[in-house]
Amino acid sequence: MWRLFDNRRLLSLFLGVALVWSLASVDWGSAGVHSGGGGTLREFVLAAFPPELSPDFLRVGLAAAWQTATFAVAAITIAVVVGLPLGALATGQVVSSSSRGRALAVGARLFLAVIRSVHELVWAVLFVAAFGFSSLAAILAIAIPYAGILGRIYGERLADVPDEPLRALRASGASPVAVLAYGRIPIALPDLLSYTFYRFECTIRAAAIMSFVGIRGLGFEIQLSLQELLFSQVWTLMLFLVGLVVLVDLWSSKVRRSLAA
Amino acid sequence: MRGTIGTNGYLVVARDIRKSYAEVQALAPMSLTVARGERVALAGPSGSGKTTLLYLLAGIVQPDEGQVAIDGRSLSGLTPGEELARLVSVMHQQFDLVPNLPVVHNVLAGRLGRWSLMRSVLSLVWPQERRLAEDTLAQLGIGDKLGERTSRLSGGEQQRVALARLLVQSSLIVLADEPVSSLDPARADDVLKLLKELTESSGKTLVASLHSPDLIRRYFSRVIGLREGLVQFDLPVDEMSDGVLQRLYQLNNGKGQVASVEVV
Repeated sequence: MWRLFDNRRLLSLFLGVALVWSLASVDWGSAGVHSGGGGTLREFVLAAFPPELSPDFLRVGLAAAWQTATFAVAAITIAVVVGLPLGALATGQVVSSSSRGRALAVGARLFLAVIRSVHELVWAVLFVAAFGFSSLAAILAIAIPYAGILGRIYGERLADVPDEPLRALRASGASPVAVLAYGRIPIALPDLLSYTFYRFECTIRAAAIMSFVGIRGLGFEIQLSLQELLFSQVWTLMLFLVGLVVLVDLWSSKVRRSLAA
Repeated sequence: MRGTIGTNGYLVVARDIRKSYAEVQALAPMSLTVARGERVALAGPSGSGKTTLLYLLAGIVQPDEGQVAIDGRSLSGLTPGEELARLVSVMHQQFDLVPNLPVVHNVLAGRLGRWSLMRSVLSLVWPQERRLAEDTLAQLGIGDKLGERTSRLSGGEQQRVALARLLVQSSLIVLADEPVSSLDPARADDVLKLLKELTESSGKTLVASLHSPDLIRRYFSRVIGLREGLVQFDLPVDEMSDGVLQRLYQLNNGKGQVASVEVV
């Protein structure tokens, strides 16, 4: 029977009202360009032709890019090492007892939710307070929420593999962890890899903004140049950042191609 | 000893087993003995209980009543895993391989029931019992595919990899659920020939479901006809007439009436 207000229509209506309401409650007046902003914007755009390319500054940029890249690599590595076992636990399929499996799954999912619900910058503030402006603070601050994000997605991908090959493994006497190693992980591997590479790109961006809490790297140099209104230097540094992301993307597509072939 | 029962020298003893799913009787009470080295074909139309019987013999499903023993060990007392894997291996209609793994790991997956977890995981980096995998694949004529990614193999080659996994598992009895139903005639012949040779040479026992009278005659020693969960006949293959198989597959509902075929 057709009804005017079934659950789906009610939900759509609710979301529509929420959208209109939120648009209406934004104070658009303060979001405009402030006086002199247009000039600054023009100056900034013109500074890109050309960016600062002196060997001395390129060295500064390279060192900063290197530092940012090391943070990102270390953080994503830790995130994978922590996230994979937690994601596997979250499937509830790594122990033979199904009641214990469910309990472990609930625990793992809760833990993953807790660590990823805190943003990396908040972790960074915490760790800077604990360890000072050190690399360790930056790496841990990124690795912890990313372990939570990766673990959640890994858990879903590992749970979603077709059952037939797993059944065959179980029939040949494989334990649940062996089924994980010989079935779930290899079957889900292309998905896991592509998502991990995407998250690797995100750790580069995250590493760059660690400057907000005073940790060095590309973001830190961008901040310094901005403060001195040296826009052509800012462009150079941003190009380094783009370069890093493009490198990761190239690596990612190379790995995925070799898997697909 | 707990879990052991008298078998009078038979490898498989199923006593008064019965299985229903919801209200539907999948298998009427039946008893069955299979001697070591027999090759038994299960014939019968879809829904006749062949797969149910195979799964009961494999310990994949438990009977509502009665019990199954293999080599004197009652299956109801065994949890799936190492012990069961030594008694029974199962070949499914699909090959059920892991396409992203190199062939060697798909073959050695048959050893997982015998390996410790450490050894299983180590093997993914450093293949254990590599010679066994090599020899088995060579026996099946694809010795050169050891390091290849499984997904790159042709259908026939993948079938051989699945066979190799079954062989290295080295169980006492091999159960095959319509192993050739999705294959062309030449390949079906080839697979059954390999199954026959390999079980014969190692003294293994084979129970497989299939439909083709020719293939049953050529590669099996005994045939059991099932229909609507009831055993219709149980004969040595050379006593199987064409008529007896034809009647098994006839389209009637068992009361002499031809079943109506609904056109959808």
